[in-house]
Amino acid sequence: MNRLAFPLLLVLASTPAWAADSAKEQEECLGCHGDPKVDPGDLKGGEKLPLFVDKELFARSVHGQQGLTCTDCHQGKKPDHATGEALPFTRRELSRDHAKVCASCHEEVATVFAKSVHGRQLEATGDGPACTDCHGVHTITRPSENELVLRTPDVCGKCHTNETLMKKYGISTRVVRTYLADFHGMATTLSRGGKKGEKGEKVRLAAGCTDCHGYHDIQRTDDPSSRVIAANLQKTCQRCHTGATANFPAAWLSHWEPTPEKAPLVWGVTLFYKLLIPFMVGGLGLQIVLHLWRTLVNR
Amino acid sequence: MSAPYIVRFSLKQRVEHLLTMVIFALLCLTGLPQKFFTAGWAQTLVHLFGGFDSMRWIHRGCGILLALSTVLHFSTAITGMLSRKVAFSMVPTRKDFRDLVQQLRYYLGSEPHQPLYDRFTYKEKFEYWGLVAGNVIMVGTGLVLFFPVIVARLLPGQLIPVAKVAHSNEGLMAFLVITLWHIFNAHLSPDVFPFDTAMFTGKVSRERYAHEHPLELARLEGRPPPTPGEAHDAHQDEADQGVA
Repeated sequence: MNRLAFPLLLVLASTPAWAADSAKEQEECLGCHGDPKVDPGDLKGGEKLPLFVDKELFARSVHGQQGLTCTDCHQGKKPDHATGEALPFTRRELSRDHAKVCASCHEEVATVFAKSVHGRQLEATGDGPACTDCHGVHTITRPSENELVLRTPDVCGKCHTNETLMKKYGISTRVVRTYLADFHGMATTLSRGGKKGEKGEKVRLAAGCTDCHGYHDIQRTDDPSSRVIAANLQKTCQRCHTGATANFPAAWLSHWEPTPEKAPLVWGVTLFYKLLIPFMVGGLGLQIVLHLWRTLVNR
Repeated sequence: MSAPYIVRFSLKQRVEHLLTMVIFALLCLTGLPQKFFTAGWAQTLVHLFGGFDSMRWIHRGCGILLALSTVLHFSTAITGMLSRKVAFSMVPTRKDFRDLVQQLRYYLGSEPHQPLYDRFTYKEKFEYWGLVAGNVIMVGTGLVLFFPVIVARLLPGQLIPVAKVAHSNEGLMAFLVITLWHIFNAHLSPDVFPFDTAMFTGKVSRERYAHEHPLELARLEGRPPPTPGEAHDAHQDEADQGVA
């Protein structure tokens, strides 16, 4: 059904009567929500809910480009909803409600996601991320633009560097730091500011988090179906590194920091240079100082 | 009266130096942003080189040029030495270690004279062999990082992160040594300030040569090697004349 939904929407969006309607509707909503100074909503749980929507940013988002309007997602909202509408208790609860809205069009993705470790955790405890936690809300980009994957260290890092949350599941918070210390993290960071290509896509030269771990189908790293479990790793590397042999996955330290136990050679060479560089630079610097001192004394 | 200047570097040596200088600078400018990729200036340089992809290719291209120039340098040096056209003047000797000690003692004031140098001082030899060793490490580890899949076909995968650590640190050290040591000796040292032109013109005045490379000068002019006192006095005379 949802395969038909988009073309159908596009056809409808191109109809002048509908276009005029949706434009009018957006004007109406943005009358309040387009004002950066609009008061945030008070959730009963004590949190504030920002209610400002940047018109420009939404127009540039994939949904804005497709011509979706406010009520396509905020179904059933009426212009007078500001008075006495029941709001969710927390923002977390709201994000979970969002996921249901997304699923009404993105049904297939929602089914895959529900089986993933994140989907199951969202259902069971609410700790798993909902759609909008990773994709954003009014600024959602097209996946082919590479905008999101280049930001995965930040997107995933939001939860995966949160000590309290990760402790609960026994997951290391060093995953982002170790990723950035590696070639992939460097290349992704430096590609982020790059220009966009003809199709609006950014050049991407290295794997982001999701390239190895998966997207909506992400699983625990010890799950037999995980893309990053040892048995599947070679195949995962081959997705980018054509012809990678069984030795190749060892080139990646699996988010371990180089210690004498985990990667003795990497550790040893790092230590060697940690000693050599100050020795070399210090020694030469000292000789320069002595040279200058002698010149001054001789004067 | 002998010639007013000595030709210290041949055209080939000057061209080699110029090439190495340009390639080295480009390698630093395209390499250091990859080491310090979170810094703001790294992003600025990436933009300057037309994005990360083109910057990477410039880095690799320069690396290949550096490798070729090193191979060329050594093949001509070895054939030159075998056919006895080139002297073994760059090979470290026991005298270099004695010179180092004497030079440091002179700086500290416990030695009246600087050592008498031949064609190359221990400082120059150190820098030359440092650059050679650095080139070998940088080219070797650079190739590992350029072709990781092929390397892992033959060798353990852990060598790839090892190569990355070595490449990144050796590169930083080369950059620091060149900016500190080479820039000092070629530009900021009181002996040459503001600019030692010898490597670009090839020429050094006989006067300066008598001070800096007295042993080689004596050999070139068929004189017996001067004693430390003589060389020092000669230098002193020049200095006095300069004042007058």
